[in-house]
Amino acid sequence: MKKIIQSLALLALSGSIAISAQATTPEEDLAAFQNFFKNRFPGVPMEEYTNGVYSIDPIGRENWEAIEEFPPYEPFIDEGQSMWETPFANGKTYKDCFPDGPSIKGKFPYWDKQQGMVITLPLAINQCREANGEKPLKYKKGPINNILSYIAYESRGQATNVVVPEDDPKALEAYEAGKKFYYTRRGQLNFSCANCHLQNAGMKIRSDILSPALGHTTHFPVYRSKWGTVGTLHRRFTGCNKQVRAKPFKAHGEQYRNLEYFLTYMSNGLPLNGPGARK
Amino acid sequence: MISNLMKAKNREFFRMQIKSMLKIVSLALLLGFGLATQAEQTAAPAADPKIAKAQQMIDDADKARKKAASVESEWRDTGKMIKMAKEALKKGDSVKAMQLAAKAHKQGVLGYQQAMAQKDQGTPSYLKY
Repeated sequence: MKKIIQSLALLALSGSIAISAQATTPEEDLAAFQNFFKNRFPGVPMEEYTNGVYSIDPIGRENWEAIEEFPPYEPFIDEGQSMWETPFANGKTYKDCFPDGPSIKGKFPYWDKQQGMVITLPLAINQCREANGEKPLKYKKGPINNILSYIAYESRGQATNVVVPEDDPKALEAYEAGKKFYYTRRGQLNFSCANCHLQNAGMKIRSDILSPALGHTTHFPVYRSKWGTVGTLHRRFTGCNKQVRAKPFKAHGEQYRNLEYFLTYMSNGLPLNGPGARK
Repeated sequence: MISNLMKAKNREFFRMQIKSMLKIVSLALLLGFGLATQAEQTAAPAADPKIAKAQQMIDDADKARKKAASVESEWRDTGKMIKMAKEALKKGDSVKAMQLAAKAHKQGVLGYQQAMAQKDQGTPSYLKY
């Protein structure tokens, strides 16, 4: 009888340890995430992570700095400014939707209690357009990148500050869903986002160095030499999923919105520096 | 009188002969029809077994793909393989269709298993809390 009670107590104890190990708060996740990089690359200052792989790749950095002398994303910023200032057919502008604009990137993504979902900046732009009788823009390529580039440029220097409100448990659910997505292995190659950009950050994959996850969201939209144009964060998510041979999800669908919510939260405190240039 | 009797007997014999001939002919016709129908019935599946099998394999692969997708774990090329299998079957290449369907089915099954294996997974051990 004693033995049975002892084993039951042990089982209950081990169970509670396993549960407590899993149930971490967003704040604890953030500390663990950022400490991981502090320990992995002790010489790299926290703000440097906003420069992506160039924070840990000195040779790549030289090329990148040369590119940044004549930034390839500049024409997109100009186009975006023109979009911002051009009234819709009903005479209203983006400013009517975003009174604090155009420097608004630091407010996104956020949890919208009324809509019960994570609102990303591109989604808010399209909601604004639709409310004003305009067609929504495509989420990965094309003109959405112009207005995002302009907003990102105007928002430079703002701190990443994603909040998971405590008054709505659905917000935490969305955060947890994004976190689960990030750590879940997927596709034929059986890789998770974390396998490459957390566990193996700084290692080589073929001739490329894997960029650290920290700061991944600060510089989007991004001009990628591979794309030959500026693209959105969700276009990059799509590309990553395809690379591990997983079927990508819909841009600004629930999965990627939650992923952006978690991933941006992990960069809390880092300054925004978009649009960026990457190879 | 005798000749009349003979004539009647002949007529009766002749009638009997026609009757039996008719019986034989109708039996032969029935037999022939039956055999032809049976031949038709056996001929249809004899021409189709590979096509039917390939179609079944494609359907199974699509079911497996949908099951993986239901747990957000569909692989990149599964749908493409199924599409290619369907195209191959349309062109009559049932062997290629079966090969592609088998691959796609395996991917669907593995995709689902991959998600199930990580159902209760938390944060990785290399993250220190």
